[in-house]
Amino acid sequence: MNSTAASTAGTERTPHRVGLLDRFLMQGGIVITFLVIAVVATALIEPRFLNRLNLINMMRNFSFLLIPSLAQMLVMTAGGFDLSVGAVVAIASVVTATVMLVGSGYFPDAGVLLILLSLAAVVGVGVLVGSVNAWLVASFSLSPFMVTLAMMSVLVGIALYFTQGIPIYGVTDTFVSGVGRGQLLGLPVVLWVALAVLAGCIVLQRFTALGRHIYAVGSDERSARLSGVRTGRTLMAAYVLAGVLAALTGFLMTSRLGAGHATIGTTLALETIAAAVIGGVSLRGGVGRAEHVALAALFLAVVANAMNLVQVDSKYQTLVLGAVLIVALAIERLLLRRRQA
Amino acid sequence: MSTPSGTQAAAVRASATSLVAGLRAARLPIAILCTLVLFGLIEPRVLSLGNFRNIAIQASYLAIFAMAQTMVILTRGFDLSLGYTVSLVSVAASMAMVAMGGGDAAILWGLGAGILVAALIGLANGLLIAGIGINPLVTTLGMANVVMAFASTVSDGFPVTGLPPGFTAMFAQASVLSIPVPILVAALVFALLFLTLKATRFGRSLYIIGANPRAAVAAGIRTMPVLVVAYMLCSVLIGLGALLLTARTGSGEPNLGGNLTLEAIAAAVVGGVRLSGGEGGVGAAVLGALFITVLSNGMNLVQIDGYLQQICLGVIIIVSLIVSRDVRR
Repeated sequence: MNSTAASTAGTERTPHRVGLLDRFLMQGGIVITFLVIAVVATALIEPRFLNRLNLINMMRNFSFLLIPSLAQMLVMTAGGFDLSVGAVVAIASVVTATVMLVGSGYFPDAGVLLILLSLAAVVGVGVLVGSVNAWLVASFSLSPFMVTLAMMSVLVGIALYFTQGIPIYGVTDTFVSGVGRGQLLGLPVVLWVALAVLAGCIVLQRFTALGRHIYAVGSDERSARLSGVRTGRTLMAAYVLAGVLAALTGFLMTSRLGAGHATIGTTLALETIAAAVIGGVSLRGGVGRAEHVALAALFLAVVANAMNLVQVDSKYQTLVLGAVLIVALAIERLLLRRRQA
Repeated sequence: MSTPSGTQAAAVRASATSLVAGLRAARLPIAILCTLVLFGLIEPRVLSLGNFRNIAIQASYLAIFAMAQTMVILTRGFDLSLGYTVSLVSVAASMAMVAMGGGDAAILWGLGAGILVAALIGLANGLLIAGIGINPLVTTLGMANVVMAFASTVSDGFPVTGLPPGFTAMFAQASVLSIPVPILVAALVFALLFLTLKATRFGRSLYIIGANPRAAVAAGIRTMPVLVVAYMLCSVLIGLGALLLTARTGSGEPNLGGNLTLEAIAAAVVGGVRLSGGEGGVGAAVLGALFITVLSNGMNLVQIDGYLQQICLGVIIIVSLIVSRDVRR
């Protein structure tokens, strides 16, 4: 339930008669339009965009955005919010590098084993953070926004205290060459991982009871409970999955960077919310599809890549991101209002 | 709580209930005292008169920000752009003062520029939230990034130096009737907001909108202009606090806002301003700010690592959310 919902709490639902244009807009049409415009404009202005190396690089960044955006989507469709995604990414990166550094003392030549060990540790972190978030939100009916905001402060504090802001080196070479820089069938390994996560989310949402329950809890927690959905358990599943996906992102980013950083992921809370919202995930819960979120994440990745290519200061990139988020929401509200009228 | 007349047990139960209620109401002053005593035992300097003066001055900045945040939280709103607004106002006011010659005559220009920038941010927030109806959390999160981009680029990311000496003298070091100016300003803001909330139609509208937006519309309150004014008031107060902080540091700082968003929210929430709207007031915000300041002052004096303090802040927010949650449901 959205205890901090906007003051204009609405009763709007899908109307009886939907026009062709509206149906297009509702089914990801806005995102597809944005994406096509962004790709064509970038390719025209800066032909280097279509270089194979650049595309590969962009696909990696897209993967690093897609996975946490799907995490954000899961929590938001369940009626929640997760501001701690970026912090989980940071702490997961620190844990990955630490496990590899310490582990290489015991198993110096077992790169694959070290990778699996740190993956297990990172998944553990994700499960732990997700379940604490869910426990606080569900058991005490606290605002998910506030809980995850406070959690963000705690997790970033822990990561920085532990490392004192200094990167942890000593990541296994196999990890960097095999995962971070690795390619499979001509595409980056991290992209395959992200696509697998995307496929998993689509299956979850379309074909499983848990997926349906997440939608039910997100659109109306009380009716969901009255119709037999175990709401507490559903919220727990959504937050734990989100925690694990965020942790996986930190794991993969470490393989790319070659070191554990406590300072990565600071803008991910905003970026993932932007990707989810542009992808049509409702801030009031109950609405949102993984494939649309993926298109939105791709759009944001293209825009960021384009700005890098034409050498826009990264400070202005946050400006564009903030503005895009607000404009996307304004369009959604205005469409909704017009449809009601 | 009403008890049946007569029996002693009922009377005891009644007085126990009122004791619990009293403790609940006084939990923050008690927490502040306990914190002071606890740190005082470890480090006696905590309990010195000079440190009390320090705490009061530090708390007055945070109190202004917490009171600003309260004005919109009362309406079920939020301002996540607080910290970066502080940064941008600091940089903009300083650049204005330097551009106008850097003499004491430029101070007024700085004040004007700072408040104008803040009011514009508040107007944008208010129009997006109340006019178009976008969720306040996400609106101000997006706005935070827009404002941050400006704050860190207009001065190329560097601090703006060369402010008029009179600016720091007047707004940071001066005292009136031996009360330091920051404390005086905070007290004035408190008095004005207290009266506004208690005695004006605008103030009561904020509570009604927060308690039940639909009832507010039914009661004939024009929600949209009230909310726009609330967001502008919030921003202007943030601007005022930013100017005082700038006077204290003596330069325009693009990173001045730092942790302030989280601290201001923490102060309001710890004080008992309810995030679901319609409950709490500026008194709660001031007490919350005092508590957070006493705590961080104590942790600084006993030399607790800054990152550990960040962890503590998060834990305290969660604990006070649990303590002050709506138990009536």
